[in-house]
Amino acid sequence: MENPESSGIMGVTQEAPTSWCHPSNRVHRFIALILMCFLCFGSYFCYDTPGALADNFKDDSHLNTSQFALLYSIYSWPNVILCFIGGYLVDRYFGIRLGTIIYMTIVFVGAVVFALGVYINAYWLMILGRFIFGIGGESLQVAVNSYVVLWFNGKELNMVFGLQLSFSRFGSTVNFWVMEPIYRWVANYYGGYEKLGVALFIASMTCLGSLICGLILGWMDHRAERILGRQEEQAKAEPFHLIDVLHFKPVFWLVSVICVAYYLAIFPFIALGKLFFERKFDFIPQDANTVNSMVYLFSAALSPFFGILIDKTGRNVMWVILSIITTIGSHFLMAFTFVNPYVGVVSLGISYSLLASGLWPLVAMIVQENQLGTAFGICQAVQNLGLATVIILAGVIVDKYGYLMLEMFFLGCLFVSLIAAVLIYILDSANKGVLNLSPSMREALKKTTVRTEETANLLEHADSSDQDEADVGGGASPRDGASPRDSAQLQSDRIRSRYIAQLLPTTNIPDRP
Amino acid sequence: MNLQTILIFIGLSYAYGQDRKITAKLNPGCNICSSNTTLLYVKCDGASDTIHQIWDFTRHLPTVIFAVTSLNSTLNVTWTDTLPKSIVLSEEPSYSFATAIDKLYEYDDLDDNGHIDPKFPQKAYKLDRIRWHLNESILSDKEAMIHVYGILNEERRGRPEIINIKLDLIPFKDYAADLPHLIHTANSTLVDVSLVNLTTSREYNASRYALHLLLISSDPAVETMHYTMRKSLDDEHTPGVFEIIEIKSPSLFDEGEGGYLQFRPVAYSEDARGVASSTVARVSAFSRTDLPRHSTLKLFYSDIDQADLLVQDMFVSFGETGDGYYKQHNYTAWSFTIGYGAPPVEGFSFFVIMIISIGLGVPIVLALSGITYVLLRRYRHNNSRTRFTNED
Repeated sequence: MENPESSGIMGVTQEAPTSWCHPSNRVHRFIALILMCFLCFGSYFCYDTPGALADNFKDDSHLNTSQFALLYSIYSWPNVILCFIGGYLVDRYFGIRLGTIIYMTIVFVGAVVFALGVYINAYWLMILGRFIFGIGGESLQVAVNSYVVLWFNGKELNMVFGLQLSFSRFGSTVNFWVMEPIYRWVANYYGGYEKLGVALFIASMTCLGSLICGLILGWMDHRAERILGRQEEQAKAEPFHLIDVLHFKPVFWLVSVICVAYYLAIFPFIALGKLFFERKFDFIPQDANTVNSMVYLFSAALSPFFGILIDKTGRNVMWVILSIITTIGSHFLMAFTFVNPYVGVVSLGISYSLLASGLWPLVAMIVQENQLGTAFGICQAVQNLGLATVIILAGVIVDKYGYLMLEMFFLGCLFVSLIAAVLIYILDSANKGVLNLSPSMREALKKTTVRTEETANLLEHADSSDQDEADVGGGASPRDGASPRDSAQLQSDRIRSRYIAQLLPTTNIPDRP
Repeated sequence: MNLQTILIFIGLSYAYGQDRKITAKLNPGCNICSSNTTLLYVKCDGASDTIHQIWDFTRHLPTVIFAVTSLNSTLNVTWTDTLPKSIVLSEEPSYSFATAIDKLYEYDDLDDNGHIDPKFPQKAYKLDRIRWHLNESILSDKEAMIHVYGILNEERRGRPEIINIKLDLIPFKDYAADLPHLIHTANSTLVDVSLVNLTTSREYNASRYALHLLLISSDPAVETMHYTMRKSLDDEHTPGVFEIIEIKSPSLFDEGEGGYLQFRPVAYSEDARGVASSTVARVSAFSRTDLPRHSTLKLFYSDIDQADLLVQDMFVSFGETGDGYYKQHNYTAWSFTIGYGAPPVEGFSFFVIMIISIGLGVPIVLALSGITYVLLRRYRHNNSRTRFTNED
């Protein structure tokens, strides 16, 4: 793994691999891990600051719900395109270190511009700030994932992905916990929209903190590269081929319908949730934020367990249908009863993380491995497009028709995704597909069935991942040689770093069969 | 059989006063009245009783009186010039309920919470000097509506300080056209009050306004009005507001039928009503009081024994923490309905019911038909294969 010659040439003091300063030392990498966890903390924290201060945006800045919703929508617009090219730019032009710092700076600038817009009460500047923030936000996640792939491998990789993403989601949770106290503290010194602006300036400091982490990590990475003689591989081919779209099966499109429709009932709900809890359930602002944060908290905490559960039991489509039904139940509970919203929100969080664990591996089962990048890119683009348009619509619904209608709209979206899931189930069983089999049945099928056109690529794909596991189990490092196997593994990690992590907010399921 | 049930149902709902025939007369019996005199009399004939409504501005205090009698009774107003001298019903009403706005309060809300609190400085502006002008009116058998305005102060800073009051009655159940879209029925009248361009006192930094309302019902004077707040699941008509406040007269509270005020705890701080301009309307506790002198109320209830007439008052104050007080927008509007019978309850709209039935129905139908299809296909498949092996 190390390359003494190159570090010698560079003239760097050679440290013993046992010293904690050495990049391959566990302690050293653990420090890197902590820094990586904090890289996205700021952007996740700031993403939901409007949601955590929703009532203050109404009272101090006099935004109606439609204008407020546009703050969220504008974040998603650049990402409809950027989810395809953000990672590509990092690979081809910026490199990881510079890329991370550039995206992080964009995020920080976006957060500051947004706060400034609120401070001087200029709506267009708020929108501009959120737009800039959006340009950096999602691409930053890609860059950070590339770091993870570079520093960790094999079994570690899944765990680190999971940890890093859970921690990022935790940033959103913390935001919901602390913004209200910060706002109240600031209110002692400022009044009107100025206090809101100052509170947001303070929030943007988390992005500055993340930027500092990014700089330190950049330095550590630079040092590691010299000491280990590591070479940053250039991506050979752009993994996105729009022409692949033509070859996708109907089942893939049904999965992407779920990607869009299901998530529409989650993220806009969180964005607009605070006032809903305050008004319908008479929660004080702080409590409303705490309820709202439960979705993220539970999905962050439970995702690893659901990952294991679905690994062991298979039957992904059944799990997806089940989680959509429980989500419908949660929204029903909040729409049509006065039952304590903790019940609804907690079950929403549980269903949401179960769905993520069940749904995304489906994409890897349906699509050939070399088209995976395109497939995830498409899913993400349509998801962003859906969020961008629907959050605006959700705001208009609240202003014109109230929260009951908003809940009806979410239920409508969930019904659409339920129909899509049922259709997947029907199509799959009619074609004797593998999507809903248990792992042992998949195994049996792999051994005995004559490979039909329908299942061939899937099973090949299953083969290769098994082999991955074997490689990793053998303790071989994927990065020290140039064997075709390793480069395939690398390419797969690359795709994963670019897309999967963004799609799964907290799950750590890579291309599993 | 079915038709009969439907007919009985229609008959019953008619008998319980769902719809009424309305006849409205402006200043009945006054020949010399101009637009500066406004007394509207609306006779609402139901299946078994008649509600006489008097909307009066002639003696300065905006007043709405409900009197319930049997059918075929009449109301007679006599005048001295442009002032009503007597308001007489041909029979004694079985029940009566009334409300009037007698004062406007300005208070210095030092706690910034929108409550009118006796510990803070406050000024009462009596409305007994205000002249009300009729701005527009609709008097037909489909709707009775009047819009009056009173000028509180003509020449302070050049802009007139205006109180607008709009009263509206329709002979069937519907939601009001404007926010907060309260329900009105043939038994209730919508009252919308707006305070426009009022000049706040220089010595108050945190001026807000509150309306002082009188509530009168023909219940024993020892009883009290009841404040109830209930929550509805449905904020379809008043986005973001789930509460409904009802002030119930003792007879409604105890026996299920009587006078009430119904409203949502929301007011608007701008002419363009919406979620962004909404603010909170708060109700104080009730206290006992007397009928104001020289008022239409005094005139109407002159024959009733004091012990049989409950007279209470309350404040409705507007505003919420951090909204910049009244001066921020120089505007506050608030709506309530006053009615007789049982307050109307809102139900889910057709749209809500449709979405739920389609949303639940389609996946179930799809799942069932899908399962049937898959089973059939497998069954046939197996059959054909068996046949094939047999032949083999």
